[in-house]
Amino acid sequence: MSEADQPKPRLNPAERVGRALALTALVVGGFFPFVWMVLTSLKNEGELQKFPVQYLPSGLNLGNYARVFSEQPFAQFFTNSLVVSLLATALCIVVAVPAAYALARLHVRGRGVLLTTVVAFSMFPVVSLLVPLFRLFRGANLLNTYPALILPYAALSLPVAILTLVAFFSAIPRDLEAAAMVDGTDRVGAMLRVVLPLSAPGMVTAALLVFVNSWNEFLLALSFNTKLTMRTVSVGVTLYQGEFAFPWPLIAAAVVIATVPIVLLIAIFQKRFVAGLTAGGVKA
Amino acid sequence: MINRSTRPQRRETSEARLAFWLMLPAAALLCGVLLFPMLTTLRDSLFLNKLTEPWLRGFVGFQQYAQMAGDPRFLQALRNTLFFGVLTVGGSFLVGIPMALAAHTPSRIRGLARVALLLPWAMPPVISGLIFAWLFNGQYGVFNDLLVRAGLIQEPLRWLSTPGLAVVAMVITIVWKTSSFVALIVLGGLQGIPRELTEAAEVDGATRVQGFFRVLLPLLAPSLAVAFIFRAISAVQVFDIPYTFIQQAPAQGLLETLGVYIYRTSIEFLDFGYGAALSVALFALSLAVTAVYVRFVRDEGTT
Repeated sequence: MSEADQPKPRLNPAERVGRALALTALVVGGFFPFVWMVLTSLKNEGELQKFPVQYLPSGLNLGNYARVFSEQPFAQFFTNSLVVSLLATALCIVVAVPAAYALARLHVRGRGVLLTTVVAFSMFPVVSLLVPLFRLFRGANLLNTYPALILPYAALSLPVAILTLVAFFSAIPRDLEAAAMVDGTDRVGAMLRVVLPLSAPGMVTAALLVFVNSWNEFLLALSFNTKLTMRTVSVGVTLYQGEFAFPWPLIAAAVVIATVPIVLLIAIFQKRFVAGLTAGGVKA
Repeated sequence: MINRSTRPQRRETSEARLAFWLMLPAAALLCGVLLFPMLTTLRDSLFLNKLTEPWLRGFVGFQQYAQMAGDPRFLQALRNTLFFGVLTVGGSFLVGIPMALAAHTPSRIRGLARVALLLPWAMPPVISGLIFAWLFNGQYGVFNDLLVRAGLIQEPLRWLSTPGLAVVAMVITIVWKTSSFVALIVLGGLQGIPRELTEAAEVDGATRVQGFFRVLLPLLAPSLAVAFIFRAISAVQVFDIPYTFIQQAPAQGLLETLGVYIYRTSIEFLDFGYGAALSVALFALSLAVTAVYVRFVRDEGTT
């Protein structure tokens, strides 16, 4: 499992070159579009309208970043996204942990059917839920409020959170709980004192997946929270384009700001993300 | 097994009761926010409900489903969706599998490689659409610049306003965005395969390429199947990237997917009834893919 333990494969020179090329392609391909937006965001219109393309900006022109905040309430968009994504993540995990514990640990009849049902829920097309949810939230006076996004985001990510957690819970040895129960605690006590602390990494992983999904969601945010001060960043970045004009340096700056949280999370938690996707996708 | 004083049946009923309460909140959230609206859509699809023609209301049975068969825009959107689906799912495997192999080999820049692998997957789809619309810009786009510098074209191509090229641009964008997902699932599969297996094949005289096709690929089959199903479903439902592209591309007809057509029918034309019927059709398409998944899971056996 641990990558440090793996022996280094013996490679002949041709294979070395091939591997170097593949790695370079991977790194350039993954980073370039994002790096290109950073470079574009530092240019002015004049530098932009050159062909052949001028790759590097002539200076550190941060004016576009200032305009992102002055032309739209982008700080508000950012706060909205942060609040909605964090609360959706919290709600999703609080609901997913007990369900996943039951599916992984207790004698549940029809466990296979239940897990398949959970998977089936992740197949619902979001666009099919748009109109009925809109009506539901309008009736409940929830449009243009945080719950209008928090509830669907938590629900939409619930399947992947449950599947990821089931995989993590299943990997914890049952003997540990049994031992705790012999020592006098009941099942709920064993769950709270033994299983949950041990599965903290699993919960972090699931939470990261939910956060990224919520931060990136576009369609429901576009349709439910139409008041300018209730917009999220994924919708906010599209608001700089006029009907015919695309102020690309400005859009690029907005894009860079909007992806900062995602890039930071990826850089810090890259191993957790890989573990989460693998666990949720394959093992469950 | 430890607690012998309690009779097994009683323990099972008390466990079942506990499990019920533990799963209840999740079930409530899923049913309230996903299942109930979906059932509402199912009902709506049987009624005429168009805000622009409010006098035409009422139960019409399956009439709106029949309407689809004669709706050229729906048929075009369905064709586009399937066409993009085949190209982008296939493309994401062609790109994703080599990416996974590259990221799997130990190297000094493994951490960096993993971030590069995760970035496209984690990038908001709308933002991926915007970034690539800029890369494909008809005047100052990087792709044009590279092609001109390489001497492959004389003049910049108007990617987004030329129908055929707009399709190519969108396929490339979606493949960039989704190859990562395939690569990550395959990487997970690769990490579960003991290195001795591939090494044994090499000792037996197989080249690395033979080793890949004869040893590695069969062992990766479960991961590939999972990646395929999830990719296929997301391809059928694709919305954000086509939606962003259409804002910038006059070549709309060829870029409109089912997801986009449903959105426009319901939100722009305010035809909730027909939009619901189209939604059910899209859900049926997703379910068809899900059915394949369920069969696969059953064959493999859940553990």
